[in-house]
Amino acid sequence: MSNIQLNSISAVIIDDDPFIQELLKDKLNQYFPEIQILGLGNNGREGILKIQQLKPNLVFLDVEMTDMTGFEMLSRLDAITFKTIFITSYKHYAIKAIRFNALDYLLKPFDLEELKNAILRFKKNQKSDNVPIALQNLKSKQASDQILILKTQQGELHIQLKDIISIEGERNYSYINMVNSKKELVSKTLSNLEELLEDKGFFRCHKSYLINKLHITENPNGSTLFLSNGMKIPISRRKKDTFNNWFNNELI
Amino acid sequence: MTKKIIEMNAEQQMHYINLENVLAVSRGSTERMLKYLFQFQELIPERLNQLKKAKNQDNRTQIRQILHKMSPQLQFFGIQNIIIPIQRLEFEYETMPNQELEVLVTEIISKLEGALIEVTKTIQKYHV
Repeated sequence: MSNIQLNSISAVIIDDDPFIQELLKDKLNQYFPEIQILGLGNNGREGILKIQQLKPNLVFLDVEMTDMTGFEMLSRLDAITFKTIFITSYKHYAIKAIRFNALDYLLKPFDLEELKNAILRFKKNQKSDNVPIALQNLKSKQASDQILILKTQQGELHIQLKDIISIEGERNYSYINMVNSKKELVSKTLSNLEELLEDKGFFRCHKSYLINKLHITENPNGSTLFLSNGMKIPISRRKKDTFNNWFNNELI
Repeated sequence: MTKKIIEMNAEQQMHYINLENVLAVSRGSTERMLKYLFQFQELIPERLNQLKKAKNQDNRTQIRQILHKMSPQLQFFGIQNIIIPIQRLEFEYETMPNQELEVLVTEIISKLEGALIEVTKTIQKYHV
Protein backbone atom coordinates (compact mmCIF):
# COMPACT_ATOMS: atom_id res chain seq x y z
CA MET A 1 0.00 0.00 0.00
CA SER A 2 1.54 3.36 -0.99
CA ASN A 3 1.94 6.39 1.29
CA ILE A 4 -0.57 8.31 -0.81
CA GLN A 5 -3.17 5.71 -0.03
CA LEU A 6 -2.14 5.69 3.62
CA ASN A 7 -2.82 9.42 3.82
CA SER A 8 -6.37 8.99 2.65
CA ILE A 9 -8.08 6.06 4.28
CA SER A 10 -11.78 6.22 3.63
CA ALA A 11 -14.03 4.38 6.03
CA VAL A 12 -17.65 3.54 6.64
CA ILE A 13 -19.09 2.46 10.00
CA ILE A 14 -22.02 0.03 9.90
CA ASP A 15 -23.73 -0.64 13.23
CA ASP A 16 -27.33 -0.37 14.33
CA ASP A 17 -26.40 1.17 17.68
CA PRO A 18 -26.08 4.99 17.48
CA PHE A 19 -23.91 4.94 20.59
CA ILE A 20 -21.35 2.68 18.92
CA GLN A 21 -21.39 4.79 15.75
CA GLU A 22 -20.67 7.98 17.72
CA LEU A 23 -18.05 6.43 19.94
CA LEU A 24 -16.09 4.89 17.10
CA LYS A 25 -16.39 8.06 15.02
CA ASP A 26 -15.05 10.17 17.91
CA LYS A 27 -12.17 7.82 18.61
CA LEU A 28 -11.20 7.65 14.95
CA ASN A 29 -11.41 11.44 14.57
CA GLN A 30 -9.35 12.00 17.69
CA TYR A 31 -6.59 9.49 17.15
CA PHE A 32 -6.56 8.82 13.40
CA PRO A 33 -7.02 12.07 11.49
CA GLU A 34 -5.83 10.26 8.37
CA ILE A 35 -9.07 8.25 8.37
CA GLN A 36 -11.92 9.99 6.66
CA ILE A 37 -15.31 8.68 7.72
CA LEU A 38 -17.43 8.83 4.62
CA GLY A 39 -20.66 7.61 6.12
CA LEU A 40 -22.58 5.61 8.68
CA GLY A 41 -24.95 2.73 8.09
CA ASN A 42 -27.69 1.96 10.60
CA ASN A 43 -28.31 -1.61 9.49
CA GLY A 44 -27.29 -4.16 6.88
CA ARG A 45 -29.46 -2.74 4.10
CA GLU A 46 -28.11 0.76 4.62
CA GLY A 47 -24.62 -0.66 4.86
CA ILE A 48 -24.87 -2.18 1.40
CA LEU A 49 -26.05 1.13 -0.06
CA LYS A 50 -23.33 3.13 1.68
CA ILE A 51 -20.62 0.77 0.49
CA GLN A 52 -21.89 0.85 -3.09
CA GLN A 53 -22.23 4.64 -3.12
CA LEU A 54 -19.15 5.66 -1.15
CA LYS A 55 -16.67 2.92 -2.10
CA PRO A 56 -14.63 3.00 1.13
CA ASN A 57 -11.37 1.09 1.53
CA LEU A 58 -12.13 0.19 5.16
CA VAL A 59 -15.43 -0.92 6.69
CA PHE A 60 -16.12 -1.27 10.41
CA LEU A 61 -18.94 -3.80 10.45
CA ASP A 62 -21.17 -4.94 13.30
CA VAL A 63 -21.48 -8.71 13.51
CA GLU A 64 -25.12 -8.77 14.66
CA MET A 65 -27.57 -6.19 13.34
CA THR A 66 -31.36 -6.13 13.56
CA ASP A 67 -31.98 -6.94 9.90
CA MET A 68 -29.04 -9.25 9.13
CA THR A 69 -25.62 -10.33 10.33
CA GLY A 70 -22.44 -8.69 9.12
CA PHE A 71 -21.56 -11.85 7.20
CA GLU A 72 -24.96 -11.87 5.47
CA MET A 73 -24.45 -8.27 4.47
CA LEU A 74 -21.06 -9.03 2.94
CA SER A 75 -22.47 -12.03 1.07
CA ARG A 76 -25.05 -9.76 -0.59
CA LEU A 77 -22.40 -7.55 -2.16
CA ASP A 78 -21.35 -8.21 -5.76
CA ALA A 79 -17.71 -7.55 -4.96
CA ILE A 80 -15.70 -6.91 -1.82
CA THR A 81 -13.17 -4.21 -2.66
CA PHE A 82 -12.43 -3.09 0.90
CA LYS A 83 -10.98 -4.46 4.12
CA THR A 84 -13.33 -5.29 6.96
CA ILE A 85 -12.81 -4.89 10.69
CA PHE A 86 -15.66 -6.64 12.48
CA ILE A 87 -17.02 -5.05 15.63
CA THR A 88 -18.65 -7.19 18.25
CA SER A 89 -19.49 -7.55 21.91
CA TYR A 90 -17.47 -9.54 24.37
CA LYS A 91 -17.65 -13.31 23.85
CA HIS A 92 -20.19 -13.14 21.07
CA TYR A 93 -20.68 -16.53 19.44
CA ALA A 94 -19.45 -15.08 16.14
CA ILE A 95 -15.96 -14.57 17.57
CA LYS A 96 -15.31 -18.24 16.96
CA ALA A 97 -16.14 -17.84 13.26
CA ILE A 98 -14.00 -14.71 13.13
CA ARG A 99 -11.02 -16.53 14.65
CA PHE A 100 -11.52 -19.62 12.51
CA ASN A 101 -11.18 -17.41 9.44
CA ALA A 102 -8.40 -15.23 10.90
CA LEU A 103 -10.45 -12.07 10.37
CA ASP A 104 -9.78 -8.79 12.13
CA TYR A 105 -12.14 -7.65 14.88
CA LEU A 106 -12.58 -5.19 17.70
CA LEU A 107 -14.51 -5.59 20.91
CA LYS A 108 -17.05 -2.94 21.85
CA PRO A 109 -16.75 -0.37 23.45
CA PHE A 110 -13.26 -0.22 21.87
CA ASP A 111 -10.03 -0.27 23.82
CA LEU A 112 -7.79 2.41 22.34
CA GLU A 113 -4.73 0.15 22.11
CA GLU A 114 -6.72 -2.53 20.27
CA LEU A 115 -8.08 0.09 17.90
CA LYS A 116 -4.56 1.40 17.25
CA ASN A 117 -3.31 -2.12 16.54
CA ALA A 118 -6.18 -2.88 14.17
CA ILE A 119 -5.56 0.33 12.22
CA LEU A 120 -1.84 -0.42 12.15
CA ARG A 121 -2.52 -3.91 10.75
CA PHE A 122 -4.79 -2.37 8.14
CA LYS A 123 -2.10 0.16 7.15
CA LYS A 124 0.58 -2.49 6.95
CA ASN A 125 -1.84 -4.67 5.07
CA GLN A 126 -0.92 -7.46 7.48
CA LYS A 127 -4.36 -8.98 7.58
CA SER A 128 -4.95 -10.58 4.26
CA ASP A 129 -8.49 -10.45 3.06
CA ASN A 130 -10.06 -13.68 4.14
CA VAL A 131 -13.66 -12.51 3.89
CA PRO A 132 -14.41 -14.46 0.67
CA ILE A 133 -13.11 -17.67 2.30
CA ALA A 134 -15.12 -16.92 5.45
CA LEU A 135 -18.29 -16.50 3.38
CA GLN A 136 -17.58 -19.75 1.57
CA ASN A 137 -17.02 -21.49 4.91
CA LEU A 138 -20.31 -20.22 6.25
CA LYS A 139 -22.07 -21.60 3.18
CA SER A 140 -20.42 -25.05 3.44
CA LYS A 141 -22.88 -27.74 4.42
CA GLN A 142 -20.13 -30.11 5.51
CA ALA A 143 -17.73 -28.89 8.20
CA SER A 144 -15.02 -31.02 6.59
CA ASP A 145 -15.16 -28.79 3.48
CA GLN A 146 -14.41 -25.66 5.46
CA ILE A 147 -11.03 -23.99 5.26
CA LEU A 148 -9.17 -23.17 8.45
CA ILE A 149 -6.87 -20.15 8.24
CA LEU A 150 -3.86 -20.09 10.52
CA LYS A 151 -0.84 -17.83 10.91
CA THR A 152 2.60 -19.31 10.35
CA GLN A 153 6.06 -17.78 10.26
CA GLN A 154 5.84 -17.76 6.47
CA GLY A 155 2.44 -16.12 6.34
CA GLU A 156 -0.92 -17.82 6.31
CA LEU A 157 -1.87 -21.42 6.02
CA HIS A 158 -5.19 -22.34 4.43
CA ILE A 159 -6.17 -25.92 5.23
CA GLN A 160 -9.32 -27.76 4.32
CA LEU A 161 -10.48 -29.60 7.44
CA LYS A 162 -10.79 -32.94 5.63
CA ASP A 163 -7.03 -32.74 4.94
CA ILE A 164 -6.13 -32.69 8.63
CA ILE A 165 -5.53 -36.12 10.15
CA SER A 166 -4.51 -35.06 13.64
CA ILE A 167 -2.91 -32.24 15.57
CA GLU A 168 -0.19 -32.61 18.18
CA GLY A 169 0.29 -30.01 20.88
CA GLU A 170 3.77 -28.83 21.83
CA ARG A 171 3.47 -26.09 24.49
CA ASN A 172 2.64 -22.85 22.64
CA TYR A 173 2.79 -24.50 19.24
CA SER A 174 0.99 -27.28 17.42
CA TYR A 175 1.96 -29.63 14.63
CA ILE A 176 -0.73 -30.39 12.07
CA ASN A 177 -0.42 -33.80 10.43
CA MET A 178 -1.81 -33.59 6.93
CA VAL A 179 -3.02 -36.18 4.42
CA ASN A 180 -0.14 -35.37 2.08
CA SER A 181 2.26 -36.48 4.86
CA LYS A 182 3.28 -32.88 5.53
CA LYS A 183 3.59 -31.65 9.08
CA GLU A 184 2.75 -27.95 9.52
CA LEU A 185 3.90 -25.97 12.57
CA VAL A 186 1.51 -23.27 13.78
CA SER A 187 1.76 -20.84 16.68
CA LYS A 188 -1.47 -21.85 18.38
CA THR A 189 -1.88 -24.04 21.42
CA LEU A 190 -3.78 -27.29 21.14
CA SER A 191 -6.47 -25.77 23.37
CA ASN A 192 -6.86 -22.82 20.95
CA LEU A 193 -7.32 -25.26 18.08
CA GLU A 194 -9.65 -27.48 20.08
CA GLU A 195 -11.88 -24.47 20.70
CA LEU A 196 -12.03 -23.76 16.97
CA LEU A 197 -12.53 -27.36 15.85
CA GLU A 198 -14.50 -29.16 18.56
CA ASP A 199 -17.82 -28.79 16.74
CA LYS A 200 -16.33 -29.65 13.36
CA GLY A 201 -15.60 -33.33 13.75
CA PHE A 202 -12.50 -33.07 15.93
CA PHE A 203 -11.95 -34.49 19.40
CA ARG A 204 -9.27 -33.97 22.03
CA CYS A 205 -8.68 -37.61 22.96
CA HIS A 206 -5.48 -36.94 24.88
CA LYS A 207 -3.73 -33.90 26.35
CA SER A 208 -1.36 -33.89 23.37
CA TYR A 209 -3.69 -34.92 20.54
CA LEU A 210 -6.66 -33.61 18.65
CA ILE A 211 -7.98 -36.02 16.05
CA ASN A 212 -10.22 -35.76 13.02
CA LYS A 213 -13.06 -38.30 13.04
CA LEU A 214 -12.84 -38.64 9.27
CA HIS A 215 -9.40 -40.22 9.61
CA ILE A 216 -10.04 -42.78 12.34
CA THR A 217 -9.58 -46.17 10.77
CA GLU A 218 -9.66 -48.37 13.84
CA ASN A 219 -10.71 -48.13 17.44
CA PRO A 220 -9.88 -51.65 18.59
CA ASN A 221 -10.02 -51.54 22.37
CA GLY A 222 -11.36 -48.14 23.36
CA SER A 223 -7.99 -46.96 24.60
CA THR A 224 -6.07 -46.68 21.33
CA LEU A 225 -6.89 -45.32 17.91
CA PHE A 226 -5.41 -45.88 14.50
CA LEU A 227 -5.50 -43.09 11.97
CA SER A 228 -5.42 -43.13 8.18
CA ASN A 229 -1.69 -42.29 8.10
CA GLY A 230 -0.92 -45.29 10.32
CA MET A 231 -0.45 -43.23 13.50
CA LYS A 232 -1.39 -44.90 16.76
CA ILE A 233 -2.93 -42.45 19.23
CA PRO A 234 -3.75 -43.06 22.89
CA ILE A 235 -7.11 -42.14 24.42
CA SER A 236 -6.90 -40.72 27.96
CA ARG A 237 -8.60 -42.89 30.53
CA ARG A 238 -10.80 -40.00 31.68
CA LYS A 239 -11.79 -39.21 28.07
CA LYS A 240 -12.85 -42.77 27.21
CA ASP A 241 -16.59 -42.38 27.81
CA THR A 242 -16.86 -38.99 26.17
CA PHE A 243 -14.87 -40.31 23.24
CA ASN A 244 -17.17 -43.29 22.80
CA ASN A 245 -20.26 -41.07 22.87
CA TRP A 246 -18.72 -38.68 20.37
CA PHE A 247 -17.43 -41.45 18.11
CA ASN A 248 -20.73 -43.26 18.01
CA ASN A 249 -23.11 -40.32 17.85
CA GLU A 250 -21.79 -37.12 16.43
CA LEU A 251 -22.47 -36.36 12.82
CA ILE A 252 -19.90 -34.35 10.95
CA MET B 1 -8.21 13.39 34.90
CA THR B 2 -8.47 10.92 37.82
CA LYS B 3 -8.96 13.80 40.28
CA LYS B 4 -11.72 15.24 38.10
CA ILE B 5 -13.48 11.86 37.93
CA ILE B 6 -13.30 11.38 41.70
CA GLU B 7 -14.59 14.92 42.21
CA MET B 8 -17.41 14.45 39.75
CA ASN B 9 -18.44 11.09 41.17
CA ALA B 10 -18.37 12.48 44.72
CA GLU B 11 -20.17 15.71 43.85
CA GLN B 12 -22.94 13.83 42.18
CA GLN B 13 -22.93 11.04 44.79
CA MET B 14 -22.69 8.50 42.04
CA HIS B 15 -23.18 4.90 43.01
CA TYR B 16 -24.18 3.43 39.69
CA ILE B 17 -22.15 5.14 36.99
CA ASN B 18 -18.50 6.01 36.58
CA LEU B 19 -17.75 8.71 34.05
CA GLU B 20 -14.09 7.80 33.49
CA ASN B 21 -14.64 6.62 29.90
CA VAL B 22 -17.01 9.47 29.06
CA LEU B 23 -14.45 12.02 30.26
CA ALA B 24 -11.61 10.28 28.44
CA VAL B 25 -13.35 10.41 25.07
CA SER B 26 -14.67 13.92 25.73
CA ARG B 27 -11.12 15.25 26.23
CA GLY B 28 -12.30 18.30 28.15
CA SER B 29 -15.22 19.11 25.86
CA THR B 30 -18.41 19.55 27.90
CA GLU B 31 -20.36 19.45 24.66
CA ARG B 32 -19.01 16.01 23.78
CA MET B 33 -19.56 14.75 27.32
CA LEU B 34 -23.18 15.92 27.15
CA LYS B 35 -23.63 14.22 23.79
CA TYR B 36 -22.91 10.83 25.42
CA LEU B 37 -25.04 11.64 28.47
CA PHE B 38 -27.99 12.72 26.33
CA GLN B 39 -27.61 9.63 24.20
CA PHE B 40 -27.75 7.46 27.34
CA GLN B 41 -30.83 9.36 28.49
CA GLU B 42 -32.42 8.85 25.07
CA LEU B 43 -31.55 5.20 24.37
CA ILE B 44 -31.71 3.49 27.73
CA PRO B 45 -35.35 4.23 28.77
CA GLU B 46 -36.62 2.74 25.50
CA ARG B 47 -34.50 -0.36 25.96
CA LEU B 48 -35.46 -0.53 29.62
CA ASN B 49 -39.13 -0.60 28.61
CA GLN B 50 -38.42 -3.29 26.02
CA LEU B 51 -36.60 -5.29 28.70
CA LYS B 52 -39.48 -5.00 31.17
CA LYS B 53 -41.92 -6.08 28.47
CA ALA B 54 -39.76 -9.03 27.46
CA LYS B 55 -39.43 -10.04 31.13
CA ASN B 56 -43.20 -9.93 31.63
CA GLN B 57 -43.74 -12.00 28.50
CA ASP B 58 -40.92 -14.38 29.49
CA ASN B 59 -39.44 -13.79 26.03
CA ARG B 60 -35.91 -15.01 26.62
CA THR B 61 -34.64 -14.41 23.11
CA GLN B 62 -35.79 -10.82 23.29
CA ILE B 63 -34.15 -10.39 26.71
CA ARG B 64 -30.87 -11.62 25.28
CA GLN B 65 -31.07 -9.33 22.27
CA ILE B 66 -31.85 -6.22 24.30
CA LEU B 67 -29.07 -6.89 26.79
CA HIS B 68 -26.63 -7.68 24.01
CA LYS B 69 -27.42 -4.36 22.37
CA MET B 70 -27.12 -2.34 25.59
CA SER B 71 -24.05 -4.03 26.99
CA PRO B 72 -21.28 -1.88 25.36
CA GLN B 73 -22.95 1.37 26.40
CA LEU B 74 -23.35 0.14 29.98
CA GLN B 75 -19.73 -0.95 30.06
CA PHE B 76 -18.73 2.47 28.75
CA PHE B 77 -20.69 4.16 31.55
CA GLY B 78 -18.94 1.95 34.10
CA ILE B 79 -22.16 0.64 35.58
CA GLN B 80 -20.98 -1.39 38.51
CA ASN B 81 -21.46 -5.14 38.61
CA ILE B 82 -23.85 -5.24 35.68
CA ILE B 83 -21.73 -6.83 32.99
CA ILE B 84 -21.40 -10.27 34.60
CA PRO B 85 -25.18 -10.75 35.08
CA ILE B 86 -25.68 -9.53 31.50
CA GLN B 87 -23.12 -11.96 30.15
CA ARG B 88 -24.70 -14.78 32.11
CA LEU B 89 -28.10 -13.95 30.68
CA GLU B 90 -26.63 -13.63 27.17
CA PHE B 91 -25.12 -17.09 27.32
CA GLU B 92 -27.50 -18.99 29.56
CA TYR B 93 -30.76 -17.43 28.44
CA GLU B 94 -32.13 -20.69 27.13
CA THR B 95 -31.31 -22.86 30.11
CA MET B 96 -31.38 -20.59 33.15
CA PRO B 97 -34.14 -21.43 35.69
CA ASN B 98 -37.07 -18.96 35.66
CA GLN B 99 -36.52 -17.74 39.18
CA GLU B 100 -32.85 -16.98 38.63
CA LEU B 101 -33.56 -15.24 35.34
CA GLU B 102 -36.17 -13.08 36.99
CA VAL B 103 -33.83 -12.11 39.83
CA LEU B 104 -31.03 -11.16 37.42
CA VAL B 105 -33.27 -9.15 35.09
CA THR B 106 -34.88 -7.33 38.04
CA GLU B 107 -31.44 -6.51 39.40
CA ILE B 108 -30.33 -5.16 36.01
CA ILE B 109 -33.50 -3.05 35.67
CA SER B 110 -33.00 -1.58 39.12
CA LYS B 111 -29.36 -0.65 38.38
CA LEU B 112 -30.32 0.91 35.07
CA GLU B 113 -33.00 3.01 36.73
CA GLY B 114 -30.43 4.19 39.27
CA ALA B 115 -27.95 4.96 36.51
CA LEU B 116 -30.56 6.95 34.61
CA ILE B 117 -31.23 9.15 37.64
CA GLU B 118 -27.51 9.85 37.99
CA VAL B 119 -27.10 10.63 34.30
CA THR B 120 -30.05 13.05 34.49
CA LYS B 121 -28.50 14.79 37.52
CA THR B 122 -25.17 15.14 35.71
CA ILE B 123 -26.89 16.63 32.66
CA GLN B 124 -28.73 19.11 34.86
CA LYS B 125 -25.45 20.20 36.37
CA TYR B 126 -23.51 20.67 33.14
CA HIS B 127 -26.16 21.61 30.59
CA VAL B 128 -26.64 25.32 30.72
